[in-house]
Amino acid sequence: MVMILWGMMTWWYTDGWRQCLERATLRLEATLDTFSIGLLLSTLFSPFRQISAGNVRGSFDAQMRAFVDRTISRFIGMMVRLVMIVVGCVVIVCNVVFGLLFVLGWALVPVLPIVGLLLFLIGWVPWSS
Amino acid sequence: MEQLTFNHSSERAVKARLARTLAGAWVHSLTALTFVLLLAGVALLANALSLGWFLCGLSALPAMVVAWYTGELKPLRLVAAAKTIDDVLAGDILSQLPADPSPRDIATAVGASQSGFFFSARFGVTPTLLQNSASDDKSQTAAIWQDAWKLREQTGQDTISGGLLIAALMQRTPEHEMLLARLHLQTSDLLKGAAWQQHILELIEKHSKPKRTGGIARDWSFGYIPTLTRFGQNISEQIARGGLLAVDLESHTEALQQMIKTFTSSGRQNIALVGSQGSGKTSIVHAFASELLDASSSLPDTLKFRQVFVLDASSLLAAASGRGELEKLIMEVLGEAYAAKNIIVCLESAELFFEEGVGSVDLTNVLLPLLEAGRLRVILTMDEQKYLSIGARNSALVNALNRISIGPASEAETIAVMQDQLISLEFRHRVTYTYQSLQEAYRLSERYVHDLVQPGRAMKLLESAASYAENELVTMNSVQQAIEKTLGVKVAVASGEAERETLLNLEDLIHKRMVNQTRAVEVVSDALRRARAGVRNEARPIGTFLFLGPTGVGKTELSKALGDVYFGGEDRLIRLDLNEFVRQEDVARLIADGAKDSTSLTSRVMKQPFSVVLFDEIEKAHPAVLTTLLQLLDEGILRDEKNREVSFRDAIIIATSNAGAERIREYIERGYKLEQFEKSFVDELISSNQFRPEFLNRFDEIVIFRPLEKPELLQVVDLILAGINKTLASQKITVEVADDAKSYLVEKGYDPRLGARPLRRVIQRTVENTVAKQMLAGSVTPGSTVKVSLEEVTKLLGSEAQANTIAAGEPSQTTLS
Repeated sequence: MVMILWGMMTWWYTDGWRQCLERATLRLEATLDTFSIGLLLSTLFSPFRQISAGNVRGSFDAQMRAFVDRTISRFIGMMVRLVMIVVGCVVIVCNVVFGLLFVLGWALVPVLPIVGLLLFLIGWVPWSS
Repeated sequence: MEQLTFNHSSERAVKARLARTLAGAWVHSLTALTFVLLLAGVALLANALSLGWFLCGLSALPAMVVAWYTGELKPLRLVAAAKTIDDVLAGDILSQLPADPSPRDIATAVGASQSGFFFSARFGVTPTLLQNSASDDKSQTAAIWQDAWKLREQTGQDTISGGLLIAALMQRTPEHEMLLARLHLQTSDLLKGAAWQQHILELIEKHSKPKRTGGIARDWSFGYIPTLTRFGQNISEQIARGGLLAVDLESHTEALQQMIKTFTSSGRQNIALVGSQGSGKTSIVHAFASELLDASSSLPDTLKFRQVFVLDASSLLAAASGRGELEKLIMEVLGEAYAAKNIIVCLESAELFFEEGVGSVDLTNVLLPLLEAGRLRVILTMDEQKYLSIGARNSALVNALNRISIGPASEAETIAVMQDQLISLEFRHRVTYTYQSLQEAYRLSERYVHDLVQPGRAMKLLESAASYAENELVTMNSVQQAIEKTLGVKVAVASGEAERETLLNLEDLIHKRMVNQTRAVEVVSDALRRARAGVRNEARPIGTFLFLGPTGVGKTELSKALGDVYFGGEDRLIRLDLNEFVRQEDVARLIADGAKDSTSLTSRVMKQPFSVVLFDEIEKAHPAVLTTLLQLLDEGILRDEKNREVSFRDAIIIATSNAGAERIREYIERGYKLEQFEKSFVDELISSNQFRPEFLNRFDEIVIFRPLEKPELLQVVDLILAGINKTLASQKITVEVADDAKSYLVEKGYDPRLGARPLRRVIQRTVENTVAKQMLAGSVTPGSTVKVSLEEVTKLLGSEAQANTIAAGEPSQTTLS
């Protein structure tokens, strides 16, 4: 039994902790990939879901119309991307914070039974009258 | 090598046993306990009871055990510097071994492991077989560990898996060759099985990892593609969803690299993947699309996340009523793809866009400028022959394309493709394929499937074998049945009682149709028996025979009898009169493509490989024709004009010749027996330049048919009469000819130069005419017997001159009234 407990505790603070960190990192990477902030920034002023591209040949009117279309498309694109960058940043920050808490919290899990026992013995419940 | 030991008390072994104890119910219970404690704790705390703290804290204990089980015990990592067997043994086997295991204990542990289930289902190596073949002698255990360790090093695997242990156990079984042979396996197959299982585990791990495919903003900068979406299939999207499985093959890696290089260069942005059907062109496009989607790859930004759209030719053709409309639609679709900036268009079976025909239309005028400009990224997949024929018509088109040739896959690659594709194949058909079925599919498809190359041909056969699964298991037998039922070939070793009876009594059955020629009947029967017992050389035809002798002695009749008795009917006889192949140009008629000439030799054998192929009057063929037949006789292979290999390895090849018929008669008349002059006669044929020695040497047997004598002709009369009675059986009429009438018929029909042929004509004229007249006169009713007497025969045949006319087959001058 001692060997089993020892084995578990050894794993918890070595490979277990490392795996916990890996999981948090993978989650963060997935979030970064989902929001692709770098891609959003590099294409910030690109037209959004453009219907036509390239140089438009034709009359001055047609060229002006294409220019205006593209400008509007770029503006829409910039707005959508900005919103997505902001949302993405918030989600990423949350992810980092929760990831850190998760990794740090991992180390405290083995002492939770003792903490719980102490709190029970003290009888402390903050919301009791 | 030092003696390898097994440490039952090592930390890894203890953990393995603990993992086995915890697996299943225990882990589920602990998980449930965690939640129950946590919820109860929270509930108590909500009610201001401090006991809740204790319960919440306590819930950490089962949670930790579950985490430990999932993170360490279940995957059970290997020991870095492995010294003992338990350091590298697969966890599920290690957990079941006793302290001092015997080979049988190892076999039992392997049988109950994941590998054991795999080998039982895929190879037929069941736990019972393993246990029964392993000994209880513990002194042999060390040797088994030693072997397994060596195999691990040899195969480059990290773990000593169940597969390696099965191979090691089998090696130490005295009768292992016999055991494996019964399963149609070799020891190397077990190692391949271990590698296959390892590969599946790697695939599962690969697919369980989250994919990085560029995120939600990936396509925002690119164009809107409504028309392309309507007429194309976004294979990148399908791959991203996990719907298409790209197979990694070494031969494909090179093609992939070339594709990436072409699309990242400044040259024309198009690629023509040229290869025969079934070579894996579509798979390469899938693999390419998959590579582009991988955010972690080192591809340049100009290629990363580009999407591959396969254009559907039939939808395009259906949507546009006229040529002009179709051209407009194509331009719209391609224009959209170009404007979108992230699309690579794939024209699958691109020949459909470059030639006129059913389901195809020539759009060269529209597509060529686009391809020449090289700005729109296009992948074309094309059949090799079509590419060449299009190139011959329009060299500018071929010059505008960057060609990448895709060759057929090797055997190892084909097996690898089949193993990977099994995952979806088994899911679709709800069956399990054995390893032996894959090998058999490769072997038989090489031989019988001609319209595709590997791996496509083996895959096609494997898929059709699913319909012949027994208890949802696709075995070697299922694959053989698929071939036998679709082609009418017999590929399995004779096993049915009826077939065995036929084979053992083949001579008697043939003699029911022909008289004497015992030696010829015997050699042909022997060849068939060898073939069906599985002891013949499979790289040659079942048998190749040259029948020499005068006309009308049974050469062709024996071929027909064989087709009827064994191959299932006279229609199984593919007969070519070589007196129609007397010019050099006639070679082309032998090997013509079946689509152009369905009567060519190659196309007939392709359709019906299990046949008797009869080359009549071979001495009259042009030397070029005979040269063409040399490879056929030697290797059982003939290439048609499309360079496809047509197999004659399931056929009996019989060539007949009248050459030297006079000499045979002379020998016989001088009292020689066949065996006495056979050799000198063949030498005479060579020295008289009637046959070249290299041609005669290609035959398994040269059989000389001797002229029939009068007593034998009496038996022939009986056979011919039996044939007539068979014809009349539907009218319930029987013909009986008196013995003296038979002798008279033989007398009148006998011609030493023409054998039994005149006799047939004489009998047909006399007997059939008698019956016909009596039937018309109403004197014969169903159920009655027509008796033909000597008087009637004499009357019908009339004068000697008339009999001779009939015997010679000339039109009769007088009516038989």
